[in-house]
Amino acid sequence: MFVKVDLHNHSCLSPCGDDEMTPGMLAFEAMEKGIKFLGLTDHNCGRNLPAFEKVCKICNIIPVLGIEVNTVEDVHVLCFFKDLKEAMDFSSFIERLLPPILNLPRMFGNQLIINEEEENTGTFKWNLIGTCGIGFDDLIEEVNSRSGIVIPAHIDRFANSVISSLGFLPNLSYTAVECLKIPCEYETYENTIIQGSDAHMLNQVGRRYCSLDVKTLDFEGLRNALESGQVKYRREF
Amino acid sequence: MLTVEGLCELKGYKCALLGNAEDEVTNCYTGDLLSDVMGNAEEGSVLITIQAHKNTIAVASLVGIRAVVLCNGRTSPEDMRKAAKDEGVTIIETKDNQFSASWKIAGLLGLK
Repeated sequence: MFVKVDLHNHSCLSPCGDDEMTPGMLAFEAMEKGIKFLGLTDHNCGRNLPAFEKVCKICNIIPVLGIEVNTVEDVHVLCFFKDLKEAMDFSSFIERLLPPILNLPRMFGNQLIINEEEENTGTFKWNLIGTCGIGFDDLIEEVNSRSGIVIPAHIDRFANSVISSLGFLPNLSYTAVECLKIPCEYETYENTIIQGSDAHMLNQVGRRYCSLDVKTLDFEGLRNALESGQVKYRREF
Repeated sequence: MLTVEGLCELKGYKCALLGNAEDEVTNCYTGDLLSDVMGNAEEGSVLITIQAHKNTIAVASLVGIRAVVLCNGRTSPEDMRKAAKDEGVTIIETKDNQFSASWKIAGLLGLK
């Protein structure tokens, strides 16, 4: 069965994410847009994933728990894990690789942590927008070794992409590749191309998505669908 | 005439992989975004960058860049050195930042 998938969204934890973009608001907005698999991918941190997982279940959405890691090469990569424990373990791993630079909310925006009751319980003190200390190739290997889903983000973007920083996509083991434009004008080997919103505010949720032929409505079903390449893009509906 | 080997003689510049020592260096390009390097660097250049990744060698080979200077103490991973060996591209490592390296190499090229 084909279902709507939007794996790339930010919450108010990302400094560039709107303060109104709580995990709850994100999930409700996605529900209204008919998204079935919804990803939360804050920059370099997963501290809003516990609240996100809970509210997605209320909305009858399958939460896809992730982090958008920024590698030393300034390349964004979407990394997803099968459950909250795995995702939070990975978040701790990435947080330890962050440079000790305090966030300046006035310059970069707030980094709000939201609990399972949708309350703001604090802020994350280290700035999340920069690079963390892991290289692109090592990150791909790390996520694969943790049995995660790994997707280079918006590879055709003018900045923070594998194409802009590294010139071309290295032929490594990805679950899929995210592009802004379909068809993708760059070499992506045999990888499935997906699209995601990269939403930072509510009205951007669902602005890009794709439809995947998913056999089981869970993490492994998503992985299999991504790897099988059974994908339709928005304009084909 | 400046050769690749001549670049390695700069104080504090360590040759991590020597490609073709006698290759002449005629220009220099400084940049960390390889898509930009691909589009704008000239053949015969030395590339000054912090991009310590094997893709840098592929781009160097494509453009005809003879040597890559890695700045800020970044070191070349093994797969990057292997690619450089295969392509005959020299890798030099330094603690200098890109500005200092550019200034010093401009001097060697007689550009100042």
